[in-house]
Amino acid sequence: MLTRRRLLEGSIAGLLASASGGCNDMGSGRRVVVVGAGLSGLNAALILERWGFEVDVVEAKTRVGGRLWTLDHLPGSPEGGGNVMGAQYGRVVHMAHHLNIALRTPPRTLPSDYVIRDQRISRDSWASAAANPLPETWRSIPPQRLMGKLNETNPLLKTRAWHDPNLMASDQSADVGLKALGFPNAAIELINANNSYGNNLSDTSLMALYRIMGEFGRLSGPELAVQEATLGNMRLPEAMAKQLSRPVSLGEPVVAVRHSPSRVQVALASGKTLEADAAILALPLPALEPIEVNLSATQTNLLRQIDYHKVVQLHCVVEAPFWEAAGWSGSWWTDGLLGRIFTRPIPNTSRYNMTVWINGDHCDPLNALDETACTQSITQALWQLVPEARDVTSVGQLVRWSIDPYAGGVWALWRPGQAGTAHRAIRAPTGRLFFAGEHTAEAYRGMEGAMESGERAALEIMRVLA
Amino acid sequence: MRLRTLAVYLSAVQFGLLSASLPAAPLNSEQLYDVACSACHSLGTVSDHRVGPPLGGLLNRQAGELDGYQFSEALRTSGWIWRLPTLLAWLTDPDAAIPNNAMNYVNPLTAEETQQLSEWLLRQP
Repeated sequence: MLTRRRLLEGSIAGLLASASGGCNDMGSGRRVVVVGAGLSGLNAALILERWGFEVDVVEAKTRVGGRLWTLDHLPGSPEGGGNVMGAQYGRVVHMAHHLNIALRTPPRTLPSDYVIRDQRISRDSWASAAANPLPETWRSIPPQRLMGKLNETNPLLKTRAWHDPNLMASDQSADVGLKALGFPNAAIELINANNSYGNNLSDTSLMALYRIMGEFGRLSGPELAVQEATLGNMRLPEAMAKQLSRPVSLGEPVVAVRHSPSRVQVALASGKTLEADAAILALPLPALEPIEVNLSATQTNLLRQIDYHKVVQLHCVVEAPFWEAAGWSGSWWTDGLLGRIFTRPIPNTSRYNMTVWINGDHCDPLNALDETACTQSITQALWQLVPEARDVTSVGQLVRWSIDPYAGGVWALWRPGQAGTAHRAIRAPTGRLFFAGEHTAEAYRGMEGAMESGERAALEIMRVLA
Repeated sequence: MRLRTLAVYLSAVQFGLLSASLPAAPLNSEQLYDVACSACHSLGTVSDHRVGPPLGGLLNRQAGELDGYQFSEALRTSGWIWRLPTLLAWLTDPDAAIPNNAMNYVNPLTAEETQQLSEWLLRQP
């Protein structure tokens, strides 16, 4: 007879059997699976291994590094992903030093001329050019420096408390906020044309822009020059991965993460299942969203709401400085399809890397095209702007982060109203699940933010699985 | 446990909705230093490649006085001397302690961990 007690015992036994997946030996009680082999996941894994944890790192891509991606197949090995190491990036610099990754001051990007409504403007004539759309008192400010005007009112130059409730009046649409601060419409339109820190100004929190400009404002100065890895920034995560006692499992997308109060199961698309005492989800939110995992209701909602920045890049190699004969500088800032064109010399050669760099919602029509059509669309506009480039320029690599399923964009953006609470909620540990990645970092963004977040996630696990 | 209560519990477990009440185990001071400081500060008194100054011999050291570091003017002119109360205040909230400082750091430690780490750091030669 099936008594109530039998029924309960059966339920519990069944539950435990299904949770264990047939594996009864959990070993040390200090086994951790890290999902994502970018800087954040690798840093967390290295710290945990240092303190005796057994760590398995799984990575969906066939390489480590996440949003660091050195295009090694192109002359000059340009960076398709994270490219700049700030002078204050202590964790990144220390790791590079520790692993013998040489750093250098990047070759200087050539200065930029302007193209406004198809009118070419030399950088020296910006202030007086008829095509300069800015009102009189703003005309001398080049387009790429307009956002810097935010630092005249930036509360985050004196504090880094970007969640401070007293500052949340600035957690509003940047579009509205800039107008209220006296930015003329023409300046707002120029900022929106090439904004690296928002897909469009109305969906971006002014506080998020203050956070970024505050970081730049505090770190400006010739003595605080940026660095890059001499042989490519990817060398850093590659070297970090080599330090791990177990190799990173590459090409292993995760399909589900199941967790109970006592264990975690990470199910891979290959059919394998990893058992652990805890897991760190060190992957960008668009890559986390399709994974079956029970998060808090708040986190589930935020997964859908937090936006990621769109970037399209076309990396080209230039054999000769075609701009010199016409008296141009070599780089361009445009308000059209091409966005910005950054050109820099390839050291010890006579060639140049030239990258067309398109930001934000301007990427949408390009992302709707297939790779060939997208490349053609960009090159057509490029040859139209600089016909003289055509004979000396070869197209190397199209990079589209938004349509990469394991990235979904280049970094998390904070919408109006998200600066106060969303950032903390999205990284709050849920049972035995912990979170890392630049979107969870507090003090820094970018590579240093990723490293910082790995420390915090490792610490959270060390506290509960010591 | 009543059947309905247990059913709710099991459902919650199965769907991972229970916040695991994992036991908190105190970390030792070396672990706290390793995770929270070591990427930017070595121990001992010899400067190295790290962006921040070494933390050995910190007790009674004047803030911002070591050669070879780009200390903020705020720190250099603070008049602070590193002892337990100052170090605790600094690590708990650097911006509140000395506004306009150059240490871009948000402390991930609990108050107890910060106290333990501060006491340990001030004992390092």
